[in-house]
Amino acid sequence: MAMELVPESQTLHIPKLRRRWQVLVLQLISTASLLLMMKRMNSVFGSCTDQFIADSGGPESTYWCPAYEHTRGLRYWTDSDSIGLFLPDFVHGLADLSGNTLSGDATFVAPVLLCAVVTAIWVYILHQSEKIQIWINRLISLGFVGWMMLPFLLSWIYAMVVSGPHLPFGHENPAFNHIDHLWDPFMFIFEMIFLGIVFAPILAGLMGIWGLSKRMITWAVGYFLMVVGIHAMLTFEGITDAVDVGLQPLPAQIGDATLYGGLVSPLSLTLISIAILIIIFMESGLAVISHLEYAAMLPEEAKRNPEYVTQFRNVMNSHIVHMVSITAVVALTTAIALEFDDFLISLVGLLEGSQWSGQVRESLELQLTYGKVISAGLFLLVVAGMRFVLPWQRVTGIIETGMSRIRSAD
Amino acid sequence: MWTRKASLMVTSGISLILIGMMISNFQLMIVGLTFISFLAINGWVSGHSELEVTRTINGTQTNAINVYKGDDVVVELTVTNNSYRRTQQLEVFDNVPHEMKMRTGINQMRMNLGPGQTARIKYRVRCPLRGHYTIGPISVRYRNAFNLYVNDSQIEDRTDVTVFPQVREIEEALLRSDVPKMYTGATTLKTPGQGMEFYSLREYLPGDAFRSINWKAYAKTGELMVNEKTRDAVTDVFIFLDTRDVSRIGTVLKNPLEMGTVAAASVSTYFIRRRDSVALVTYGEKMEYLPPETGDKQDYKVLSRLAAVEAKGSMPLQAVTNAMSARMSRGSPVFIISSLEGDGTTLPAIRHLAGKGHEVIVLSPSSIDLERLVSRIPRMSYEVLKLERQNRLTAISGYGAKVIDWMPDVELSQALLQVRSV
Repeated sequence: MAMELVPESQTLHIPKLRRRWQVLVLQLISTASLLLMMKRMNSVFGSCTDQFIADSGGPESTYWCPAYEHTRGLRYWTDSDSIGLFLPDFVHGLADLSGNTLSGDATFVAPVLLCAVVTAIWVYILHQSEKIQIWINRLISLGFVGWMMLPFLLSWIYAMVVSGPHLPFGHENPAFNHIDHLWDPFMFIFEMIFLGIVFAPILAGLMGIWGLSKRMITWAVGYFLMVVGIHAMLTFEGITDAVDVGLQPLPAQIGDATLYGGLVSPLSLTLISIAILIIIFMESGLAVISHLEYAAMLPEEAKRNPEYVTQFRNVMNSHIVHMVSITAVVALTTAIALEFDDFLISLVGLLEGSQWSGQVRESLELQLTYGKVISAGLFLLVVAGMRFVLPWQRVTGIIETGMSRIRSAD
Repeated sequence: MWTRKASLMVTSGISLILIGMMISNFQLMIVGLTFISFLAINGWVSGHSELEVTRTINGTQTNAINVYKGDDVVVELTVTNNSYRRTQQLEVFDNVPHEMKMRTGINQMRMNLGPGQTARIKYRVRCPLRGHYTIGPISVRYRNAFNLYVNDSQIEDRTDVTVFPQVREIEEALLRSDVPKMYTGATTLKTPGQGMEFYSLREYLPGDAFRSINWKAYAKTGELMVNEKTRDAVTDVFIFLDTRDVSRIGTVLKNPLEMGTVAAASVSTYFIRRRDSVALVTYGEKMEYLPPETGDKQDYKVLSRLAAVEAKGSMPLQAVTNAMSARMSRGSPVFIISSLEGDGTTLPAIRHLAGKGHEVIVLSPSSIDLERLVSRIPRMSYEVLKLERQNRLTAISGYGAKVIDWMPDVELSQALLQVRSV
């Protein structure tokens, strides 16, 4: 079965595909949306209430609330108990290399870089043989256990040989409190936990995108949604009346639509952008994995077959077009849906005077949240029904045919 | 149809909206609304355009093809989008029977065809098992770019593939072996009939073929004259193939039935090529009889019948020979292809045939040795079983039949050289 073959650089082998621009674009889009999502979530959920700060002694004092931010907890820890962190401050993003205290987005740089490095090492290890992977796993596990236990056990045993049997804690002489040797590993674990609260989804997301793991991507999305959910619970009035952990609640009103010609309010824009970023991160990350899985399943001849290569390119290009166009339309639709209640109120306003219009208007205005969401739901119902009205696939098809004719005429 | 992902998304979207409403949290509500909006917008892109699919087999567009066991078949599917819209993401899958083995290429492709675009799926399959198979229909799965909606459909394009048993070259083996040489192929008889050689001239009668008119004689005599031919006389060769359940002993590719079909196909093709008539009788669950005929059509019928046989039933040989006795021309040679296991009527049946003057050749695949391919038989048991088999074969040859003990690793032509008679 003679078959023409594509150039070596264009075959559907995974190492070649990982350098293909469509794959890289989707991975970069996913990575960018992941980082932007962290930044947005930090700006929305990363502050404490003014009252809580004041009660804790003002901004200069040591305070901590479980907000989506990592430096406050680490500072609270080091400042309140004078406990030294195991990792250097610049790794935590607390200070730069010169020791100057960092704030704002600059605090994310070092931990994100650390996540990137860990991801790169992990991906590199994944490309090694299974035997090497097992050895690396063993080495890391044994190294960590050795680092935790060996200094403690060796110093204790040596001291017992020299000074006789004794417990490794509770002595006035610090040289006999061998258990202090466990402090560094435990500090390291605690710091990882503190960093992990903010950066675990980043690490998992990066590993998922670049290490091609669907599980890790969905885990990262789940984690972000969990953060949103926990924040919503902890800032719910019924909960804060009983326990106020100091988290800054979202405004109860969405605000007036003042941006983009009255399309969207600033708060809506922020919240919609988080939701859209979640979708972009998830969909572009998963798309790469799904398409590469398909390519990996193909037999050797198909990977070199021009038909398969062309169609793979078609599918990837189409996916990128869909990603951009559909997420843009989704963002626009959600924004319009959130302002649909205003439109309904204006419409009812035209029928001023009737008892019915007054009742509808009152219910929409008074219910606020409910009215907004119900009207948004109605709008989405209409949008969903438009599939039976709008022959947009045919329209785009005609445009595409026309464009290809123009191109061939050139 | 919604995928699991879409169901999860709609469930989590509605849940987030409801929880958000309960605790007056806009972030939860907006995430939920965005999920629902994402599903609604994606719903716009649904279904795929009309596709034109053609399948060629070995370079020919056909609905049926015949191949021999072990042959390769090259299948090419051409998928064309003749509409003005994109197909969106499609997974086209050509259904291939699991008995066929993919040799090169693959029978599926993920594609997204623009208006007027065409894609070709080319693959090669091997047919290691005889039988009647169907390639197709073509399954088309439309999948939304974000894997939210899936729509499965089928294009009813099918190609029937008949896999004949292999035909071995046995001419030399039959000439060198002790198989009777009475089968001389077609011999002419001095009587008019359908044949090749000239017999006489006669006057034209209505209904005579136009091409049989002798134009020279017409020119001389002024009357329409036609050529008459002599009748070809042929030998009727009867092949009895055992398709009883016991003939499945061994592996899928190597068992008495598979060996038997190869032998029957080879013998049949050999004699038909010599313009002899061949009849095929298969017996297992029931007896099936193909009357003696010659020519390519008969060869095709025999091979088709052999392609379809399955190991079933336990019909005794004597029931078959009794039923066939009246239909068999006197003295015609009979090939019995059977493992001779589990049938107490073998001896009287062969005795009956030999008694009626038939030349009987028994080709017997050694089922004990075939069983050894799949299970361990203790040496002592093997020796005893083998001895029993030898005694049976000796008894059969005692009735004047030529017996061939066919071992699994021996080629048919080699086996035919081992004809044993008393």
